Amino acid sequence: MSDMTDYKAESPAREAWRMFRRNVPALAGVLILGIIVLLTLYGQFFYAGDAFDVVWAPHEPPGATAEYPLGTDYLGRDIIAGLLTGGGPTLAVGAVAAAITMVIGITLGALAGFYGGWVDNLLMRITEFFQVLPALLFAMVLVTLFSPSLWTIAIAIGVVSWPQTARLTRAEFFKIKELEYVTAARAIGARNKRIIWTVILPNAMPPLIVSATLTIGVAILFEAGLSFLGLGDPNVMSWGLMIGANREYILDAWWPVTFPGLAIFFTVFAVSLIGDGLNDAFNPKLRER
Amino acid sequence: MTALLDINDLRVTFNTRYGEVTALDSVSLNVNAGETLGVVGESGCGKSITALATMGLIPSPPGRIAGGSIKLAGEELTGASDARLRALRGADIAMIFQEPMTSLNPVFTVGDQIAEAIMLHQKVSAAQAFKDAIALLDRVGIPSPAERARDYPHQLSGGMRQRVMIAMAVSCRPKVLIADEPTTALDVTVQAQIFDLLNEIQREFGAAIILITHDMGAISEMADRVAVMYAGRVIEQARADDVLDAPQHPYARGLIDCIPALGKGETELREIPGVVPPLHLLGAGCAFADRCAHKFARCESEKPLLADHGHHPAACHAVEEGRI
Amino acid sequence: MTALLRAEDLTVRFRLAKQSLFGPPVHLEAVRAVSFTLEKGRALGIVGESGSGKTTTAMAAIRLTEAAGGKVLFEGEDLLALDDEAMRARRRDIQLIFQDPYSSLNPRARVADIVREPMDLMEIGTPAERDARVRELFGLVGLRADQLGLFPHQFSGGQRQRISIARALSTNPKLLVCDEPVSALDVAIQAQILNLLARLKEELGLSYLFISHDLGVVRHVCDDVAVMYLGKIVEHGPRDAIFDAPQHPYSQALLAAAPSLKRRKSEGYVRPMKLSGDPPSPIRPPKGCAFADRCPKAQELCRDMPPEPHEEGALRVACHFPG
Repeated sequence: MSDMTDYKAESPAREAWRMFRRNVPALAGVLILGIIVLLTLYGQFFYAGDAFDVVWAPHEPPGATAEYPLGTDYLGRDIIAGLLTGGGPTLAVGAVAAAITMVIGITLGALAGFYGGWVDNLLMRITEFFQVLPALLFAMVLVTLFSPSLWTIAIAIGVVSWPQTARLTRAEFFKIKELEYVTAARAIGARNKRIIWTVILPNAMPPLIVSATLTIGVAILFEAGLSFLGLGDPNVMSWGLMIGANREYILDAWWPVTFPGLAIFFTVFAVSLIGDGLNDAFNPKLRER
Repeated sequence: MTALLDINDLRVTFNTRYGEVTALDSVSLNVNAGETLGVVGESGCGKSITALATMGLIPSPPGRIAGGSIKLAGEELTGASDARLRALRGADIAMIFQEPMTSLNPVFTVGDQIAEAIMLHQKVSAAQAFKDAIALLDRVGIPSPAERARDYPHQLSGGMRQRVMIAMAVSCRPKVLIADEPTTALDVTVQAQIFDLLNEIQREFGAAIILITHDMGAISEMADRVAVMYAGRVIEQARADDVLDAPQHPYARGLIDCIPALGKGETELREIPGVVPPLHLLGAGCAFADRCAHKFARCESEKPLLADHGHHPAACHAVEEGRI
Repeated sequence: MTALLRAEDLTVRFRLAKQSLFGPPVHLEAVRAVSFTLEKGRALGIVGESGSGKTTTAMAAIRLTEAAGGKVLFEGEDLLALDDEAMRARRRDIQLIFQDPYSSLNPRARVADIVREPMDLMEIGTPAERDARVRELFGLVGLRADQLGLFPHQFSGGQRQRISIARALSTNPKLLVCDEPVSALDVAIQAQILNLLARLKEELGLSYLFISHDLGVVRHVCDDVAVMYLGKIVEHGPRDAIFDAPQHPYSQALLAAAPSLKRRKSEGYVRPMKLSGDPPSPIRPPKGCAFADRCPKAQELCRDMPPEPHEEGALRVACHFPG
């Protein structure tokens, strides 16, 4: 309302965190994602069993045996073991793909937004080229060309999803580079490199962090899609692979597809809640409430 | 005789994260037809809230009128229905805002916007309203008004847009015109044009003008009477010449001494130290005490009331006890 | 007296978006062959209304905007001819204070780091010396040492402007460019900052290039004044000469328009000189005097031929019919 100075050093990041902590859905997202990550990291130590081992008769429904509470798939493999071991690669693909997206998107977007002119023109035409490519088809081509390993899948997803991040970064840079503190940095003799990476980028981060979070969710869905089409890495158990392998029998047995599907749903849901929470936390208009 | 607009003991509160704060505290102002009242103070002093309260535009929640009365030609506005306030706004009370770019709708021509304002309050045909709009644009000094009426706001300069705002505000010949920092966004030569225009319009229409400003120079050229506000209260109120020549309250004195205005001579600028206190931290004493050179014990414990202490009304213990 | 900064025929052109795909590129000449001199230890005010090119002139003079032509001599050395590295080194002598205390400080940096950054970039002193200097500067501009660790949003507008000034002073500059340093502040706070600037100029022997639209502020701070209109300086000279007896009709109109405590409504004042209309478009400046369309004294000659600046007493005036 008026000039006020409270003498508590609170950085913008801490203030965002204070907002985030008050956001119940976002905290629920953190809780859900935390449980999922813990289960995929440590679950195997408490629940022994290889996901690829045939342990029982095929298509054992959930609850039929005490030993395999969620039943078995079409080969007689334990679904719980699949969920626990498959989560790690799924999440890893999501994280790696999001990281690739951010690196490419932020670099190109920052250069285009900062320099403008022909640099911007060139980079934006490249961006548009990638944006109009049918992402799923392009990723399928990449995966088919370079044998379907988790890495190629992650890279393929990253390569097709960066254009949005690049556009967002560019827009933020266009806005922020006009602000006086950027001119101030130039006036004290800062080089372009420093202005881009230490002055503008930290101020452009909030929407980018939100976008990165959401990208993780998209990447997980993407991986599931590729695996569903039979393009997953057959040597590594993932939720997508479980769905892909069992999809032909879905009319006979719903559970081998449903449980990994639910796992993906909850993961993406939790990530979205966190993304929305971060968005609110970084949005200064909501801060005053 | 009561004044045309009579604000009495008005109190406005806002709910904030610091709890309920008092944005206006026992504010009494009045203005007569054909007269200009200047309301002056720094940002956060409550001058704009006073304007919004008069227009019935206090955002509620979080704000609310907690007491007092606002009477327009004898009619009480504080408890009036939304429909009644809507009928009065634009017709009997109109307002001109600080930033003419954001207060005009960018997707309609200025002629259409003025015609719209006319048709809201008068039963005329659209064609007639548009004709009236052109006449108004001519009246506020816009060259080739018939063509300009078909322009969109972004095609006009800042000064022209403010003239359009004035044309819209006076379209229904309001009794009271509230101008909230109408020239802050404009250049000085354009500001001078707008001031002269407002004075002309007042002479012609006999409207009462409330000019809200932070600029003592504007007060000098525009106002008949002045109310100086600080932290939600009126701390001095008198004829403009009295306040400018013999300010009583130390804050009013400081406001005049601190501006490097033309026509003031070569004195060094006297500073008012510190900043306006946030409303939620106002204590029991005078809100200005922490910045005041004449502070004494009484200022810490008791809020001074606006009263005549020999010259003209001021709310200051030091003036009351003859210490200044 | 020696000239600290001297601009000669400084010109700035902006390229606008093309009107049509195959049309020629359109240029806007924001600053048109401007010349001025700032003496050491003095303050030169550049006044003008929006669109006059006053800020662009200053930014081009210190190479924060690219100039299309002319020279800028800083202590005799042409800044426009320096290569990037040499210019970077020169920046320690030339610092800047902005209008908006809210957008001129990086919101994600602590204020101590903001004040320290120029010294880090220019590698001035040891890290310990830089810390000591930051504390010293905080005291100099009237901030407290316990505020060093705070972020910009925790300060009021006036305090932020003090931080901005401390940052500008950290490299011991010779020239401070002040771009409307008080126009975003409340009047009571303006006086604090203006007095601070006046004190610093005396104590540190600084020179100011001071851009403002507020004649009262310029009169208070500056020793010399240049009045700009549509990208040109129309009148340039010592403060008192300009304020007491302006020769250019535009300067006269500007003074007549500025609110003054001497003009009272109760006395029914009449403005001595009124301007109507707006300045012409800088994309197609008139071929004669740019002010001719609004000038009460304009004649045929004014519309045909641009006036050349010439001496009128202590002033340099660009007008065919001064006085």
